[in-house]
Amino acid sequence: MLYYQKHMSMRMISHGIWFVGICLQILLALVLLTKRTWRSHSFFCAYALFNLFEAALTYAVFRRGLLYFYSFWICEAIGVVLGLAVVREIFTDLFSPHQALRKLATMVFRGAVVALILLAFGVIYFQSVDVRGIARAILLAAEAARIVEVGLIMFLFLFSSAFGLHWRQNVFGIALGLGMFAAVELVTVTLIGHVSTTTAQVFNLARSISFCASLLIWAGYILAPERDTSSVEVPKRAQLEQWNQAVMELISR
Amino acid sequence: MITVIVIALALCAVMLFYMAVRGRRTQAGQSFRTVDLNAFRTLMDRDDERFMRENLPRSKFSHLKRQRIRVTVRYVARIASNASAVMHVGEAARMSSAPEVAQAAAQVTELATQIRLQCLVALTKLSLEYAMPSLQLNPAMLVPKYQSLRENLRLLGDLQTQNMVPLATAI
Repeated sequence: MLYYQKHMSMRMISHGIWFVGICLQILLALVLLTKRTWRSHSFFCAYALFNLFEAALTYAVFRRGLLYFYSFWICEAIGVVLGLAVVREIFTDLFSPHQALRKLATMVFRGAVVALILLAFGVIYFQSVDVRGIARAILLAAEAARIVEVGLIMFLFLFSSAFGLHWRQNVFGIALGLGMFAAVELVTVTLIGHVSTTTAQVFNLARSISFCASLLIWAGYILAPERDTSSVEVPKRAQLEQWNQAVMELISR
Repeated sequence: MITVIVIALALCAVMLFYMAVRGRRTQAGQSFRTVDLNAFRTLMDRDDERFMRENLPRSKFSHLKRQRIRVTVRYVARIASNASAVMHVGEAARMSSAPEVAQAAAQVTELATQIRLQCLVALTKLSLEYAMPSLQLNPAMLVPKYQSLRENLRLLGDLQTQNMVPLATAI
């Protein structure tokens, strides 16, 4: 009886969060349309609108077992591809003002892609021995895809931090929201196959909450005004050249 | 084991995002700080270092060199931070409608990016010297050493029956 009550309350919470998620997605779609974000971030808009479509579709077929299963995972696969396209879009946006870094960044980015794909294949190879059934196989594929996604977003943050690059408000928000959701999703798809049904429900709940948080981050950062940058006094070019010379001397002494 | 690695990756990602948000808040109050280049050059002076090495016991020399490196790192970090701020401002100025302003901003941004890159190399080098104070890194020495490696491989190829020359030209 207690188990049944617990199960029911979990299901109610889950449905509640699902509903909140759909509302937030509608809100985000309105923000994107009002701000005309598709002009600068077309892939992100496609990603956000596709997520809304996915939520509506899966809600509609929720009680049709197999249909729900296939529509959910097909949409997830498309979502991952769009997510990677968003990462590429962020990369282009972040490095476009820095021609000197762009070549190096592209080279390192490609290296990171190769390394992450190898890691993803390693995960598939080492875990495929335990896989029984299509559901586990799909979870494994999802895990591999999320490794690539999380790894690339980490690369963007690490590289930009190393070079002190400035993120525009909305680009930072997009990367942060996507990264947070992808990281929680990675933990979920990695562990969900190894835990009991109740714990799996908790993971699904955490996934839904993190997605709602990401939606709020996206909407918040897109609505927030860009910070003013020109209030500080810029050093003279000669001063920059002196710094350059000093650091060069340190490197080649 | 692989599951642990994947979970660690995800947790590292979350930590990184948290640090990025915090870093962004502190970056908002970023301003330029002066750099005393004469003092910086004095710190970099190899003759001073050579004098200390010749006249001080090994442990004392290591201690003093590490202290010098710590101060040098502060200077490099300050230059890197200033360069980053210049990149930020230059990025905004590049959007200027006046072409000469945009062009000048592009040049300044380019230079600031180069400084930032060099600071990274400098910090790597200083970290290595901090770990091993007896080390005197000089990247400029790499080219002649590399050339020498190629020559040695070519000579080895001549001496051995297996031809090593293609390897020497390939590296």
